[in-house]
Amino acid sequence: MDSDLETIALAGNPNAGKTTIFNALTGSHQKVGNYAGVTIAKKSGEFFTPHGRKIRLLDLPGCYSLQGDSPDQVIASRVLCGQDPEEPAAALVINVVDASALERHLQLTLELIELGLPVVLALNMVDVAENNGIRLDPAALSDHLGIPVVSLMATKGKGIVELKQAIRHPLPHAAETPWLEEGMSAEQKTQARIRHIQQTCELAARRPDAAQQLFSDRLDQFLLHPFFGWIAFALIMFVLFWSIFSISSIPVGWLESAQGALQEFVAKRMAPGDLNDLITQGIIGGAGSVLVFLPQIIILFLFIGLLESTGYMSRAAFLMDGVMSRVGLSGKSFLPLLSAHACAIPAIMATRTIDSAKERLVTIFVAPWMSCSARLPVYLLLVPMLLHREEGNSMQQGLVMATIYLVGIFTAFAVAKILRKKLGPDEQSNHFMMELPPFHPPQWCYILRHVRDRAWAFVKNAGSIILAISIILWALQTYPKSSSEDPAEKLAHSAMGRISAFIEPVFAPIGHDGKTGAAILTSFAAREVFVSSIAIMHHVEEADDEVETRGSIRSQLQATTWADGRPMFTTASLISLLLFYIYALQCLPTSAVVARETGSWKWAIGQFTFMSAFAWFAAFLAFQLLS
Amino acid sequence: MPHTTDIIRALEQDSLISLEQAKVGCEFHIRFINGPACEKLRQMGFCESMRIKKITDGRNMICTVCGTKMALSRELAHQVLVEASS
Repeated sequence: MDSDLETIALAGNPNAGKTTIFNALTGSHQKVGNYAGVTIAKKSGEFFTPHGRKIRLLDLPGCYSLQGDSPDQVIASRVLCGQDPEEPAAALVINVVDASALERHLQLTLELIELGLPVVLALNMVDVAENNGIRLDPAALSDHLGIPVVSLMATKGKGIVELKQAIRHPLPHAAETPWLEEGMSAEQKTQARIRHIQQTCELAARRPDAAQQLFSDRLDQFLLHPFFGWIAFALIMFVLFWSIFSISSIPVGWLESAQGALQEFVAKRMAPGDLNDLITQGIIGGAGSVLVFLPQIIILFLFIGLLESTGYMSRAAFLMDGVMSRVGLSGKSFLPLLSAHACAIPAIMATRTIDSAKERLVTIFVAPWMSCSARLPVYLLLVPMLLHREEGNSMQQGLVMATIYLVGIFTAFAVAKILRKKLGPDEQSNHFMMELPPFHPPQWCYILRHVRDRAWAFVKNAGSIILAISIILWALQTYPKSSSEDPAEKLAHSAMGRISAFIEPVFAPIGHDGKTGAAILTSFAAREVFVSSIAIMHHVEEADDEVETRGSIRSQLQATTWADGRPMFTTASLISLLLFYIYALQCLPTSAVVARETGSWKWAIGQFTFMSAFAWFAAFLAFQLLS
Repeated sequence: MPHTTDIIRALEQDSLISLEQAKVGCEFHIRFINGPACEKLRQMGFCESMRIKKITDGRNMICTVCGTKMALSRELAHQVLVEASS
C-alpha cells in the first residue's frame, strides 16, 4: 500500500451501506450484511478518480456520533478526528447516509462538517426512501448543508460513477457551520444541530403525513411476536440443523465416491509399499476424510449469510435479549455468539459492537463454547455411533446434534452468569438499544462470495495443516518398523505406539486409550484433524463410497477393545468424547485473537487452560457416571 | 433560586408522559430527553421534536423514529418524554 496516496475516509452510521460503496469503488469483496456492526475494523483499498488519480479509500466502522463509546465507534472517531497515529488525516470524508432515515444520519454529517473536513454526502438507498413516500430534494439538501450530495442505490451499483465525479480534484472546501455560535456548550451544540437537521429535512426530505405499513412491518408483526416470533426462531434453527444432515448428504455422496475412486486409481497404479501407503492412507485418506465435510460447512455459512443479509439477525438479537439478560449479557452479545457457530474468530471480533467492556469480555470468554464449523466433522462421525445406526436418519441425528449445540450454549450461559457476577456491575449502566433494519432480499453475490471464501479456507486447511499432520501421523505409526506381521504388534513397536502408551494415563480416566488420546492431541492444531487422525490410527481402508468410509471408521472404532476385551467405544466413552470436543478450546488462532481483543495474553492463556481443564473434567464425570 | 425557564420546563415535563407509558400504536412527538442516557439516545436519533410511533410494548419495546425501527429497553424509554401528535 502506497502511504503517500491521498486518503479519503468512508464514514456514516452503522448499516448505511459504507462497505457496499467501498466494494463498488475499490473492487474489493469485504463482507456486507443487513445489520448494524458488520464492519468492526478499518479497511483500506485503492481506486482511480475519473482523472486517473490514485486515491486510498478507508472504510471505517459505523458510528452514530464522534462521541460513541463502543470500541468499533472509537476506531472510526479516532481516524476522523486525526487521533489515529497509524492513519494520515483524511483529505475528504464521504459521509454515507440512509436517505430513508435522514434525520438520524445527518447528526454525524454536521459533526463531520464541524471538524473542518471537506465532506461529500453519499445519499444512499434513495429507492427505499421513495418507496416510503419521502420526497427527496438532493439539490436543496446540498444548498442547505453547503456540501456536494450524490444520490445512490449502492446495492444496485447506481450512482457510483457520479460519486467518483464528486470526489475529483480540486476537492470541495470544508463547509460553513451556520448552526453554531461562539461559546455554545456541548448541550447547546446538540440542540443547534437538531434544529438545523429539522430545517434541512423540511426542505429536502419531507415525510408523508401518515406512516405507511411496509412489507417489513408486516413481517415483523409475525417475527417479533412474543409467541410466534419464538416459533419462527426455533423453526429457522431446526431447518438449519436438519439441512446440514439432509440436503448435504447428496453432495457428500459425490465427494465420497470421488475420493474412493481416486484412492483406488492410485493404489492400482503403484507398486505396494510405503509410498503407496503414504499416498492412499496418509494423504488421500487423511485429508480426504475431512474434505468430505465441505458440503455441511457450505450449508452452515450459506444459512448464516442469509440471516445476516436479510436483516433477521437483529430480530433474533431482539428476541434473545430477555434470555441473555438473565445471565448478565444482552441481545448485542447474541450476534457474536450466533456467528461463533460458524467460526469463533470473526465472532470475537464482532464483540466490538458491545458497549459494556465487562459484557464484551464475558462474551469473548464464552464464545468458543458455541460449537463452530470445525467441530462439525467430529460430531458427524460420532453421533451415528452414539445412536448405533448408520447415517441417513437425519431427523434423529439432527435432534442429537441440536442437543450437542445446546449443551455448549447452556454451559456458556452458566459460566457467563458466574463470570458477570464476579466482574461486578458496569461503572456506567448500559441498556439495550438496537436498530432493526428493514428486511431486504439477500445479496446473493456477496453471500456466495463469502461462502466461497470460507469453503476455500476449509479446503486450504485440509491441504496444509491436516495434510501435514496426516503425513506425520502416518510416519509415526509406520516407523520404526517391526519384523512382526501382527498389526497390533507393529503399532506398539512404532513411535506412535510408544507415544500412545505414554499419554494413555491422561485419557484412560475419560474412557479412551492412547491412540484416541493421540488423535485428540493432534486436533489441538485444528479440531477436524481428529477424523483423519482416527482414520489413520485405525488403518481404515477407503471405500468407493464416503458414507461407507465413515461407516468403516465407525465399524473399526466399534470393534476396538481394551486389553481385557471390553469394548472401548461405548455410550459412556462416546458421550465423554463428545463433551470433550464441545468444551475444549482447540484452536490457537482463536487464542491469538482473544489476546489481541482483550489486550492481554493473560485472558487468552486463562481461557485456554480453563476450557481444556473443564473439557477433561466434564468428560471424566460423564464417563465415570455413565459407565 | 431556580431559573424561570427551569420552572417552566419542569412544569411542562410534568404534563408529559414517558415513552414507556405511551400507548401502543399511537404517534407522538418527542419533547424532552431526560436522564443519564440522554446523549446516547440523541446519538441514536431520539431527538427533541422528532416524530415517534410506539409499535410494541414489553421488556424491550419497538418504536419507529423517523422511519427507522428501533428496539429499546424500558429504562431508556422512561427517559424519553413524549406528547401525542396533533
